[in-house]
Amino acid sequence: MFNLIKREVIIQKKQLLLFIPFIIFFIVMDSHPVFIFLVTSLFVPFNALAFDEKTNVNVLLNSLPYTRKEIIASRYLGSLVYMAIAIGLTALALFVADRSFTFSHIALGAGLFLLFSAMTFPLFYILKQGYIFPIVMISFFLFVGGGPAVFELVSGSLQGIIQFVMGLSMPIILSGFLAIAAVIYSLSWVVSATVYERKVF
Amino acid sequence: MEPIIEFTNVSKQLKGFAIENMNLGVNKGFVTGFIGANGAGKSTTIKLMMNLLRPDEGEVRIFGLDYATHEKAIKERIGFVYDGNVFYEGMNLKDIQRIVGPAYKRWNDALFHRYVEQFELPLNKAIKTFSKGMQMKASLALALSHQAELIIMDEPTAGLDPIFRRELLDMLQEIMLDGERTIFFSTHITSDLDRIADYIAFIKNGELMFNQSIHNVEENYGLVKGTVDLLDRDTEKLFVHVNRTQAGFEALTSNVREAGSVFGESALIEKATLEDIMYYSKRSEVHV
Repeated sequence: MFNLIKREVIIQKKQLLLFIPFIIFFIVMDSHPVFIFLVTSLFVPFNALAFDEKTNVNVLLNSLPYTRKEIIASRYLGSLVYMAIAIGLTALALFVADRSFTFSHIALGAGLFLLFSAMTFPLFYILKQGYIFPIVMISFFLFVGGGPAVFELVSGSLQGIIQFVMGLSMPIILSGFLAIAAVIYSLSWVVSATVYERKVF
Repeated sequence: MEPIIEFTNVSKQLKGFAIENMNLGVNKGFVTGFIGANGAGKSTTIKLMMNLLRPDEGEVRIFGLDYATHEKAIKERIGFVYDGNVFYEGMNLKDIQRIVGPAYKRWNDALFHRYVEQFELPLNKAIKTFSKGMQMKASLALALSHQAELIIMDEPTAGLDPIFRRELLDMLQEIMLDGERTIFFSTHITSDLDRIADYIAFIKNGELMFNQSIHNVEENYGLVKGTVDLLDRDTEKLFVHVNRTQAGFEALTSNVREAGSVFGESALIEKATLEDIMYYSKRSEVHV
């Protein structure tokens, strides 16, 4: 399992050199901390997926002594590990750059990362190889760009819920959000594992 | 004899193609060549062996173990070499070793480096710069470095030049010397088999036509040539398929002895090559 998680950085070790400049770029661009936490968390897991897309990696991994369950588990657990590392590095970079950020920013970034990953990971196992990455790119822009707009749109009809949520304290809202994101992430894991178990290579 | 690979009534339905009721046994310590035309089901069979595909019906056992409960234990003992490149193209062999090596408990770095040296492979060049032969050698080095007991290869000689093909076959012969290893490999180049195979398994349209020792194949199969007046309903039963020409006929029999006693001196009986067997069987509707 650990080897499968480590594999994700071995395949992109050259791109990893870009990781710190990538963080610095968003800080210099004065992006919102939540957004920076989100995109830096996505860097390693999605870059790994992009690499896997280009090869017959499923044939390779499934010929090695791994089970299909382990292969999926490594993706979901590995992404958490890399998210944690990315958040740590980003927080450090923000601190060094003397940019203010709060724990809420981290929690929101992590929650959004979980939601986005939960929605896209299964696509890599459901869709045909080769079409997936463009779809993920598009859905990311929709997610980041369209998300708030959709929220505005439905907020009218969800007044009741919003007022209820607004009445709660910030820590409760955030932990609720993280908990929901974690549940969706776990469901996504189950979906991916089920799909992958039946996959034909 | 100890069977290493056992297929019991294995069926698998794929789009426009099916393997039906396959029973296949591969014996320990021997080289089995798996022949058949393109599209006959060789790769599908190999995928079933590797658990890349799961049978709809029947059972696949490797080393006497089933995949449902012993997947890792089985794959730990298998070395695989595929037709296409399954490694990350942009990566070099050293990084691939970093990914493949730790997957195996019995991985031996020193052994890997010995093969890399023997095969004259560069460690720091991207796989995509490798020739087909070098890719094959790289796969083989990886397959051999964890002391695999069973080596499964899908068309390892396809696209290789004749000299390298021969070198590869020599190498395979060498690794068979200790008698502990078993090799199963598919090919459509039948001359590969004369050189190293102990057993021949022949598949046609998803059906295993035979799985016999090369010695038996040589003993049993023959090409019969004669004039058409020798053919009648009874004598034709001896043949897998008959090719009629203006001058006479040429036919494949799977029972040389009987054909010999039936035709005696009136027909010419020659040894059938594997290619003859594949060629005539392709045209035949009967079982070989």
